[in-house]
Order: sequence, then C-alpha cells, then structure tokens
Amino acid sequence: MCKGLFSLLILFLFYTNVQAQSEYNFSEEENINAKIADVQLNTSDGGMMLSNLYNTSPILVALVFSRCTGICSPFLLQLSDNIRTLNSKEKFKVLVVSFDPIDSLSDLEDMDNRLGLNKKGQWTFATTKQIDALNSSVGFRPIWDSLRKQFDHDALLVGINENGYIAKKLTGLRGISDLKMMIQSIHNEFIPSYPLPRKNNLLSCFTYDPATGKRKPSIGLLILVLPVVLTFGLILWLAIRSKKWRRATNNHLAD
Amino acid sequence: MSAQSLKKTTATWIIVIMTLFITAIIFGILMRLNQGNDYKMSSPGFYATMTTHGLTMIAIWSVAGMVAINYLLTRYIKVPNSLSVFALVFTVIGAAMLWYATFVGQFHAGWTFLYPLPLVKIAWAKWATPLFFFSLVVLGVGWLVWSVGLLVQILKKYSLKQAFAWQHLSKKEPEVKTPPLILISTVSLIGIILSLIVAVILLALTFAEYYSGGAFVNDSLLMKNLIYFFGHTIANESLYLGLAALYELMPEVSSRPKFKTTWYVALAWNCTMVFILTAFFHHLYMDFVQPLGLQMVGQLASYFASLPAAGVTAFSVFVLVFRNHIKWSLTNVLFFIGIMGWLIGGVGALIDATISNNVALHNTLWVPAHFHTYNAMGNVLFCLAFFYWVANEFSGSQTKTKAQQLKTALLLIGGFGFVLMFYLAGADSVPRRFSNYPAEFKSAPLMATLGAVFATIYLIAILLIFIEILRKCVKAFSAS
Repeated sequence: MCKGLFSLLILFLFYTNVQAQSEYNFSEEENINAKIADVQLNTSDGGMMLSNLYNTSPILVALVFSRCTGICSPFLLQLSDNIRTLNSKEKFKVLVVSFDPIDSLSDLEDMDNRLGLNKKGQWTFATTKQIDALNSSVGFRPIWDSLRKQFDHDALLVGINENGYIAKKLTGLRGISDLKMMIQSIHNEFIPSYPLPRKNNLLSCFTYDPATGKRKPSIGLLILVLPVVLTFGLILWLAIRSKKWRRATNNHLAD
Repeated sequence: MSAQSLKKTTATWIIVIMTLFITAIIFGILMRLNQGNDYKMSSPGFYATMTTHGLTMIAIWSVAGMVAINYLLTRYIKVPNSLSVFALVFTVIGAAMLWYATFVGQFHAGWTFLYPLPLVKIAWAKWATPLFFFSLVVLGVGWLVWSVGLLVQILKKYSLKQAFAWQHLSKKEPEVKTPPLILISTVSLIGIILSLIVAVILLALTFAEYYSGGAFVNDSLLMKNLIYFFGHTIANESLYLGLAALYELMPEVSSRPKFKTTWYVALAWNCTMVFILTAFFHHLYMDFVQPLGLQMVGQLASYFASLPAAGVTAFSVFVLVFRNHIKWSLTNVLFFIGIMGWLIGGVGALIDATISNNVALHNTLWVPAHFHTYNAMGNVLFCLAFFYWVANEFSGSQTKTKAQQLKTALLLIGGFGFVLMFYLAGADSVPRRFSNYPAEFKSAPLMATLGAVFATIYLIAILLIFIEILRKCVKAFSAS
C-alpha cells in the first residue's frame, strides 16, 4: 500500500516536473517589430545616438554588466565564438550595452580586454544614462538582488534591422542556427514561422514541443483523411445496396 | 422521366449557365482593363468582382459537365429529372446569395476565401461573411444530392466493378462492356462527391470558428489543405465530365465508330481517380510546415493524375481524326480545340506543379494562365460542344451554319490570345491578384490591356454561339 502511494507520489512529482519543463516562455515574442529606443550612447568613439549605429548597418544588441558573476561572460564568449564559426558574409555590428547604472565605459573596455572580443572592430561597447528606456523598449527586466549584489537577468540578444526595428530576440545561450536566423532577420530576409498550438486550437496538424524541438503528426492530419474514409464508406454502402436494386430490377424484368 | 421534361430542364440549365458565363466574362474583361489602367475600379470593387468571377465560373462549369452527363446517361440508365431540377433551384439560389454577398456586402476574399481572412479584420459588411459561406452550403447541397443520385442510378444497372470497368483489365472482350461515358462519369462523380464532403467538413470548421466567439480556432495548415482538397479536386473532376461528353459524342458527330473502353482506357481513368486526390498538395509548396513527403506526393500525383487520362484521350482523338474523312461541325470542332486547350493548359499546370519551377512561378500570372487555358479553351469548349449538339437535337437539325468558321476563328484568336498574355506576364514574374500593378512591373498593364482585347474577341465568339444555341433551346419549351 505504502509502496503504491510512494510510486504515485514519485509519478506525480515527475509529471509536474515535466510539465514545468515543457512550459514555453513567450518573452522572445515581446516587442517584436517595435522600434528600439533611440538612446544617447557613450562609446569609445564618443557620444552618439543608437540610430547612428543601426542606420549604417543592422546591429545585435547584447545587454550585460561588468560586475556580473553569472551568465554575462559565457554569453558574450559564446556569441563571439558563434559569430566566428558562422563567418557570415552579411554586414552587421555587435553593440554591448551595460544595464548597470554604475558601470563606466572603462569597466566595459576592461571586460572586452579580458574576454578578447573585439579583435576585428565589429564590436562596440557602450553605457547609457537612458538605460530604463532602452530596457523597456526591448522588453528586458533585470532585477537587483541586494543580497548577492547582482542583477537577476536573462542573457538577451536583440536583433535590430537598419530601420531600428526589433527583428528578433534570443534569450539564453543559443546555438549557431539561432544566430544565423537572427542575422537573416535583421537583414529583412523571410524567416518561416508557424503559430504554436493554442488551447483553443483543437485540430492542429502537428504538435510541436519547443523544449525538444520535436514535431509530431496530430489529429488535424486525420481530418484530411476523413473525407476519403467517408466517401469510401458511402461508395461501399451503395455498392452493397445496389446488388439488391439490380436483383429487384432483374426480377421485375423477368416477371 | 419524360424526354420532354429532360429537354426543358437541360435547356433551362444551358440558358442559366450561358447567361452567367457571359456576365462573368464581362467581369473578367473589366478586371483586366482595370489592371491595364484603362478603366477605374476601387480595390474592394476589384476583389469583389474577382471573387464573383472565380466562384461563378467554377460553379457553372462544374454543373455544365453534370448537365451534359445527366442528359447523355439517359442513353444507358434511368435518370430522374427531379435531381437535375433540385440542383438547378439550389444553384440559382446559391448564386444569388453569392452575388449579394459580394456586390452588396462587398465580400472580397477570393473564391478560395484565403482563410483566416474572412474571419479576422473584416473589410466588408459583417453579414456578408456568413452569407458567402451559406451560399457555398446551398450550392454544395444541390450538387451533392445530384452527384449521389446519378451515382446511385449508375449502380442500379452496373456493379461497382463494372462501373470502374475492371472487367476490361483482365478480359479483352468481357461479357458486360462498360461504355466510356459510364466509366468516366463514375470516376468523376466519386471525385466530386469526395470534394463536396471535404467542403462540408471545411464549412463546418469555418462555422464552428465563426460562431464560437474565439473559443475555437482552426489550424491554418489544415484549412489550407482542406480548401485545396476541395477546390483543386472539383475543378479537375468537372473537366473530366466534359471529357465524358467528348468520349460519347465526338465519334458520333464525326460519323466514326464509337469509342470503346479498352484495358488502357480503364486503367488510365482508374489511375486518374486515385492520383487526382493527392495532386492538390502542389498548392502548398510554399507552406514549409507541410511535411516534405507530402510535397513530393503532390508533384508525383500531379504527373500521374494527368498523364494517363490525357495520353489515352489525345491518342483516341488523334486516331479518330488522323487520315479519316471527318464530317466537321461546330460540335466536333469545339471538342477538338478543347482537347488542344486542355493539353496546353495541362502542360502549363505541370510546369507549375514541378517544385523547382514553382519557386519562380508561384502566385504569378502563370497560375491563371494555365487554369484559364484548360477551362476557357478546354472544359468550356467541351460543354459548349455538348450545348450546341443538344440544342440541335431540340431543334431537330444538325446543319452546318455559315458563320461557323468565323466563330471558330474568333474563339481561337480571342481565347489563345487572352491566355497568352497571362503566360507572358507570368513568365515575366507579374504577380496574380493585384488590382493595380506597381511601377516596377512595366509590361504588366500593356499585357492586361491586350488580354482584355483578346477576351473581348472571345466574348464575341461566345455571344454568337449563345445566340444560335438560345434560338434552338427555345424550341425545347415550345415542342409538345
């Protein structure tokens, strides 16, 4: 009895854990196609508006802070590695902006030297006094943790096209394929997309699990087969019935 | 059923179909003139006209083939006239509802209604959306009852195997011989019934979403599959009904022996029945979420569905006319030109249905080019041939008229000139469904204007033929 209850409890915990894992966060869809705030930046090349950067070429905006002991360094290092591996022929720049108000430009330059990111001059490091406006325009919400003296935040990369519109957002450490799609997006290339199944969408053709990326046939495809089955059934029924009709006709003729 | 009531119903059908046809051609000419900047239509007006033109043409030429086989099947089986009358009433009511929805309610989502467009951000009267869909229900019910009724009548005389002519596959001279008319009618009727059942499911899902107030939303991919499963299948099956009339009448009016069902004719039409059901996947090449396997099925089925039927029909007609003394009348001239139009349009369709070509031709004017070729210069001519022949039957004369060569010349110049402008524009990447062309498409307005001129020549030919048919059809009502 106790063993059974224990098994049920384990199963329940496992199920809720799976459920939690498969929940999809829609933050990447937030503010897509909205214009990024045209804030004043402080860079090593002097003060400039953000629009000065995206007007010359599309940009990838990475939001970090120099005191970060968490995701920031791995995030920037992986981004740098992916850009190098991808070796895209498309023209774009990477803008790293600190969202920590106490960061100075030299703090960011130290970070760059430490990580060795800007070898080809493709990267720009900047601080801004209008960080709240910038954060709000891209849907980024860092939370200050006074105990750890750290920001609790996502690793967010925002793709901006030449008109200053947010073309794509990537949260977390992402692979090369996602970066490639982002670069295509900021160059206004068509990226296929398909609405995810919703609760009120009962007859979708496929189910898609964003956690695993797997796509499975769903009940919608059966609906496509239904008319064939119904017609086949109708014809079969008529064929069976028609034997009687023909027999009746023949008997009638014989009489 | 009395022969007289059959004649009256057939004559009524012909007058209704021809009147709607001529009006729909005028709509088409106006649209091409608007695209050529020769005539001004508002954008909603253009798209409402396009919706009416498309659906009216599909509707009338689907039932035209039904009218033909309904009349010709009486040579082999009993056909109750009530079925045809029922469908006629429903077609007239459905067409009136459709025209009201498009011209008064300004519904303008196209004949394939581009789901989910009619259900979101409606740019026309709110009531026009349900009215449009209910008009499809009325049309569909009328045709479904008629199709099932005709199939039942065939099966009352022929077993299913005989109706499919399977006995011809194993024996050269089977005991029961299936006439080609029975074989092609059976194959086509089953396809039409299937496509109408698809329409029932499609409309049920559409109404469920429309009336659920957001509680139920359809899957776009499923809806697009269903729309083309219905639309592509019914358009093709209707054309096969026209071919059924050709198999029955062309040798007869040419004073040649009747076409017989052979093993290869039986095999070809059975293949067509199976493969046509999956050819519609070629409409979804641009839908990347559709599995690649289905896209490949779409391309292969497009070839397998059309080549066998086209091959045996073209071969049969070639054998019929090659080095034979043919008594040419407008009936077999129309059948002959119709075969040419069907084959040319079919090749155009296969070019577009090949995935590597579709990348360039998708949603260009190549699409209306090929479907106008096998409809306006194919199916329409098959059915017109039947109309002309049956009108002569009503008047009791099969005489050759003086203006026959003029009508033929106008049809050839007008019809092929009209579709040529579509092909040239399509090959030049001019997009379809544009009410006005951006300045980048320099050649498009000129080709639209020329298309309108050729279509007007085609219209004159159709008017001349209609006047003659009408004069003779009236006799069906006056004869005792």
